[in-house]
Amino acid sequence: MRTRVAAALALVLVAGACSETTEDGPSADQQRTATGVIATDPKDSLGPAPEVPGATKGGTFTVIREVKISHLDPQRVYSFAGLMNAPLYARTLTTWKDDGKGNLTLVGDLAQTPGTNVNNDCKVWEFKVKDGVKFEDGRPITAKEIAYGIARSFDPDLTGGPTYVQEWLADTADYDTKWDFKANKSALPPGLTTPDDKTIRFEFAKAHCDLPFALSLPTSAPLPPDKDTGVNLDNQPFSSGPYKITKHTPGVELVLERNEHWDPATDPVRHQYPDKFVWTFGPDPDAGANRVIADSGPDQSALAFNGVPSALVSQVAGNAALKERSIISPTPSAWRLTINTQRVTDLSVRQALNYAIDRDGFVKSVGGEAVASPITTLMPPATIGYQKYDAYPAGPTGNPEKAKELLAGKTPELVLGVGDDHPEYGTQLKGNLERAGFKITVKSIPADAKLDETKKKDNPWDLYLDQWAADWPSGAAILPVLFDGRSIKAEGNSNTSLINNDAINAEFDRVLALDPAAQAPEWAKLDERIMKELAPAVPMFVDVAYYLHGSKAGGVFISSVFGYPAFVNAFVKQ
Amino acid sequence: MSLSSEIVGPELAPDAPPPPTGVDVAGRSPGQLARARLRRDRVALVSGGALVFFLLVAILAPLIELVYGVGPYDQFQEKLRRSDGMPLGYAGGISGEHWFGLEPGSGRDIFIRLVYGIRTSLFIAITAALLTSLIGITLGTLAGYLGGWVDSVIGWVTDFALALPFLIFALAVMPTVELRFYGPRDEVPTWFRVAVLIAIFATFGWTSMARLVRGQVISLREREFVEAARASGAGLGHMLFRQLLPNLWAPILVSFSLAVPAYVTGEAALSFLNIGIRDPTPDFGVMIFRSIDWLQGDPAYVFFPGITIFVLVLAFNLFGDALRDALDPKSSR
Repeated sequence: MRTRVAAALALVLVAGACSETTEDGPSADQQRTATGVIATDPKDSLGPAPEVPGATKGGTFTVIREVKISHLDPQRVYSFAGLMNAPLYARTLTTWKDDGKGNLTLVGDLAQTPGTNVNNDCKVWEFKVKDGVKFEDGRPITAKEIAYGIARSFDPDLTGGPTYVQEWLADTADYDTKWDFKANKSALPPGLTTPDDKTIRFEFAKAHCDLPFALSLPTSAPLPPDKDTGVNLDNQPFSSGPYKITKHTPGVELVLERNEHWDPATDPVRHQYPDKFVWTFGPDPDAGANRVIADSGPDQSALAFNGVPSALVSQVAGNAALKERSIISPTPSAWRLTINTQRVTDLSVRQALNYAIDRDGFVKSVGGEAVASPITTLMPPATIGYQKYDAYPAGPTGNPEKAKELLAGKTPELVLGVGDDHPEYGTQLKGNLERAGFKITVKSIPADAKLDETKKKDNPWDLYLDQWAADWPSGAAILPVLFDGRSIKAEGNSNTSLINNDAINAEFDRVLALDPAAQAPEWAKLDERIMKELAPAVPMFVDVAYYLHGSKAGGVFISSVFGYPAFVNAFVKQ
Repeated sequence: MSLSSEIVGPELAPDAPPPPTGVDVAGRSPGQLARARLRRDRVALVSGGALVFFLLVAILAPLIELVYGVGPYDQFQEKLRRSDGMPLGYAGGISGEHWFGLEPGSGRDIFIRLVYGIRTSLFIAITAALLTSLIGITLGTLAGYLGGWVDSVIGWVTDFALALPFLIFALAVMPTVELRFYGPRDEVPTWFRVAVLIAIFATFGWTSMARLVRGQVISLREREFVEAARASGAGLGHMLFRQLLPNLWAPILVSFSLAVPAYVTGEAALSFLNIGIRDPTPDFGVMIFRSIDWLQGDPAYVFFPGITIFVLVLAFNLFGDALRDALDPKSSR
């Protein structure tokens, strides 16, 4: 007995000791940058989408996820899982052509082009609907059904979805009181018209140059009024895409099968390779990843949607057999250490923080470069027009000496608010910043309240970590949202730095009024200017997506827009 | 059960050497007998040795740090792999410099954090055990000896304390107390959290000791020697501390030695649930909580804190058992 126990102990030690950890680990392509903007050539919006090399038809593609997708009703879809799933059954006015390497083109999906800016002032937009687009029952999709889809997004019962188009049409954040959908079901919201069956027209009070981007969200999915089941549409949406929902057990399973009325010739991005897509809900991230690692039976054509948990990263990375089954790619979800500029009013202190930061150390404490990729810009590299710069060059591990020099003998006492689910972030930043002469008090905030508390104008902390993932890869969805001081209110601020600078605010207005294509380089310039002149935050890192799929699954890539696995090219190897 | 010399003495006779004629028969007190039995028990010796070792480590932690040359808060992130924050080298970065390797992510030295973790854990556990014993003994003897309404009231309070759900109470109290004493910008010092932890343990832990002692006292209070003392006009203090308590040390000691490991694991569990000690402070619970995520990736990180807390708790339990055997041989075998 005793020898057996000793043997078992020895085995554990040997098993842990026999493999050496070396620098040769997984890493993401750091310099993936989004390029291209809006398709100017109508040919780009034509189908069919180019064939995926090696793709074959047939089979069942399984997606394993811990919890169900919060909404399926296209007008209510806003979660990442929902946004990645929606293109399978819902077509939109515009969509992104994405090569998975950062080359994005906004093309027309149901529309022939990604929109016509009628008067070149971004106030009137027109979209022409393609011929041959059909619902799952074979009825043609016209401007009427698309407009009805947008109209029903005004219904206050249909919560959860994005609200850009509604707010722009109503010209107020309280769009559901301005126009009551339930009382006017046969009418359309103000500013939205369908002059004929093939034309849909948006008229805004203010310029909204981002409309073609906003319409790539599933808010613009079509629905015939007679198929509108209200809140029940969430269980059984009516398909316009290559797949239709044939079985849905909420929280357990979602089965999508081919929609024979979908015509590939009309679709510039989607394919219809597998016979079926099956979402399986339940297994936790570890269990999901382990099932895909085991690669047996139906799991051979599966993808673990929760990704590789950080504790499994080294094991997955160390296994050469898993290398070709893993996808690793930076995402547009950017983290920054926000500086509360209402409290930290001294610019030199904010600049010193930027010099002091040890991004390398922080990335390691988060889980290494398989999980996070350091950045020095406010906009993530996956933004259109992105220009890399470092306003406070201090090397990957920071420059405490330079920070001390800027502080000129002061030792600012700062309070760092950290969610209590990640106390190690606080430990890491405290150690890092105190080396540079700051005095840091770490205050733990209950994780579920952290977001609401840090968004309050009068929050009591000086520093806190924030994350921002834009809904489309344009600076317009990042910089004005995060740093326009005119929108600061008592609660719910996205401008958590609480920065308010007249010159920068004026710049936002100027750039927002430009044509979308002309905006991109301007945002990159403004990004650098904000960091140099105001230093309202310390850019930290972007999340890195790390996914595993079975040996028979193919065609999955990480969406350059959302940073999650996209299924439009997915296929099952035969 | 009782260990009063009058009772136990004769019963020990079979254990003592047979009474040969012409050989010295030394009179031995129960204490001496217990010590002799402990010395004969190899398990007791080994576990006792382990306990002394752990206590020394806890007390001498700063000295160990001085000799070892690495502090519990020092980070060695340059020795971690860039791609996933794993310690470079074999078995979680074990080297001559870092005997038990490094923590993945933060790059802190596991050995020195364990040494300080033992210090935190043992301090909390022993203080809590002392405090609960003190409360339990006082209330138990009072309830048992006085009986009547005092017994009833203490019985109610005991039942009430037993009925309160410990974990839910701890979950509710910790943040509330913090908010009461510290503003949103003040750091909550570690000593405060330690004090609250000990207070929570004391609030809930004294009941079993009180019930044990009460039962013992009830069985003793009708004995002749107690009656005799009472008849001679002894006061309450004399009765409790001179007559009753000396006969209760054995069960109290055993109960105490078993309470300490329970508090070590209890404290680790609370820290595991994020309501005990917080991250930068070295602590078993926090270490195990953090390491569980790395079970598959870096088993060495789980192994060292896990094995240490296992050995520590096992040693305490084995020693407690041995102590009971030695003090009260009737109860087992």
